Amino acid sequence: MALSIFLAIILFLIVMQAAIPYLLKNTVVFGVTIPEGHTDDKTLAMYKKIYSATIFILGSIGLLVYVVWALGNQVQEDKIVFTGLALQFGILLISMGLYLYFHIKTMKRKRMHKWGDNLKRVRVADLTSRSNDEMLPSLMFALPVPITLGLIVYTAIQYGAMPDMIPIHWGPDGQPDAFSEKTPFSVIALLLILAIMQVMMLAINYFTKKSGVRLNASKRSTSRIQQLSFRKYTSWLLFLVSISMTVLMGFFQLTTIHENLGGATLMMVMPLGFLFIILIATAVYAFKVGQGGSRVQLEIDEEPIAGVTDYDDDAYWKAGVFYVNKNDPSIFVEKRFGVGWTLNFGNPIGYLIIIGPMLVILTISFLLN
Amino acid sequence: MFIQIEPTSEIPIYTQLANQLIELIASGTIKPSEALPSVRSLAADLGVNMHTVNKAYHELEKKNIIEIIPKSGAVINSISPKGPSDMQLDLIKLHLKPLIAESIVYGMDKEQILSITSSIISEITEG
Repeated sequence: MALSIFLAIILFLIVMQAAIPYLLKNTVVFGVTIPEGHTDDKTLAMYKKIYSATIFILGSIGLLVYVVWALGNQVQEDKIVFTGLALQFGILLISMGLYLYFHIKTMKRKRMHKWGDNLKRVRVADLTSRSNDEMLPSLMFALPVPITLGLIVYTAIQYGAMPDMIPIHWGPDGQPDAFSEKTPFSVIALLLILAIMQVMMLAINYFTKKSGVRLNASKRSTSRIQQLSFRKYTSWLLFLVSISMTVLMGFFQLTTIHENLGGATLMMVMPLGFLFIILIATAVYAFKVGQGGSRVQLEIDEEPIAGVTDYDDDAYWKAGVFYVNKNDPSIFVEKRFGVGWTLNFGNPIGYLIIIGPMLVILTISFLLN
Repeated sequence: MFIQIEPTSEIPIYTQLANQLIELIASGTIKPSEALPSVRSLAADLGVNMHTVNKAYHELEKKNIIEIIPKSGAVINSISPKGPSDMQLDLIKLHLKPLIAESIVYGMDKEQILSITSSIISEITEG
């Protein structure tokens, strides 16, 4: 069981990591702004190919060795889990190393050939973009919160009838494999974690809505449509995560209260279904929408405006991945290498939204053990 | 309704922003009683400090082109049927004078200055 789950996750990871250069806007390559007119550069195309091929080949070899090792040697399940995690970290480390290598090469190439030095560097905004923004209202993200509160109340009512040992961790087969003593805190710990995650996702939606709509200076109308699609579908994906997490964790809580609820099959199917939905949705989102909506197919074919290119904000992007700009009121900005949002590290509210909830969740997990 | 700023230009960003907004109003792209985006969202879209956008909006308010109403935001004023006030007229003369003087120094005659002026007027009003 653990092996097939890891097989699916690692395969997903390899494909996604290898595909990243092709899911991005062509104006940012390996975290470097590429001025208009050089986005089709042959050397850059080769960098992307080498990056993808290396990750794909190394990842596939790693996965093959992993599967053969796990099947051939009657390995214990915890060893399969540990090695599977190590393999994932390995793939991520290789991706990071390759990224940095090509980030530096791309930067050098841009500087050496003085790309964009003769172009006017501008920033473009559309005054009507906000009224056309179709991101989900943040109120919708508040909808699952009452479910959690209701479950807390229900747990309190059922407290007396609950078992003496409360499950706090579930194995790959959906059966609990770690327990904590029954206390008023431990019986609702899972729901508290759920509530924190729901609120965190609400906050992410709220602040990404306020974040900037970034347009491509030379292709304004195209990038405007793509940006708005990106914003819309990203908030849809986030909502799907919030809802499916509520269903999964709410289900676990109910099985803790009523031990025979659903039976072993449902206990196994629920987390697998959750994993399946999230992986499929993420893949569809990444390949259909792409970063900043770059993969959204449009009927119009806009001619780039001559003489202008995007303002080069590479200086604010540390290593091309960490955005630090105190002047920018955006708390989230689009990632440069990857699909989705990343934090503006120049804004302390961002730390609070992401790191605050993580600390609370860690504290809860720590108190349970 | 696109706004374009050049962060590395010698002209301060808030002036560029105010000028572009005035142009959009002059061309009729933004109509009276319409609201401008909030300071925060326009600053986020342009990736500039909120003070910069705030300064541009206040500049426009000072010139009586927009009105900043609490909660509804920055709303465009309608163009006065009585034409410019004396104060506005004085201000325009004050700004035009050095430009016209500079044109003369560059060797432009009256014809040329007037023809440039009229072509700029049609450029703005005809989009």
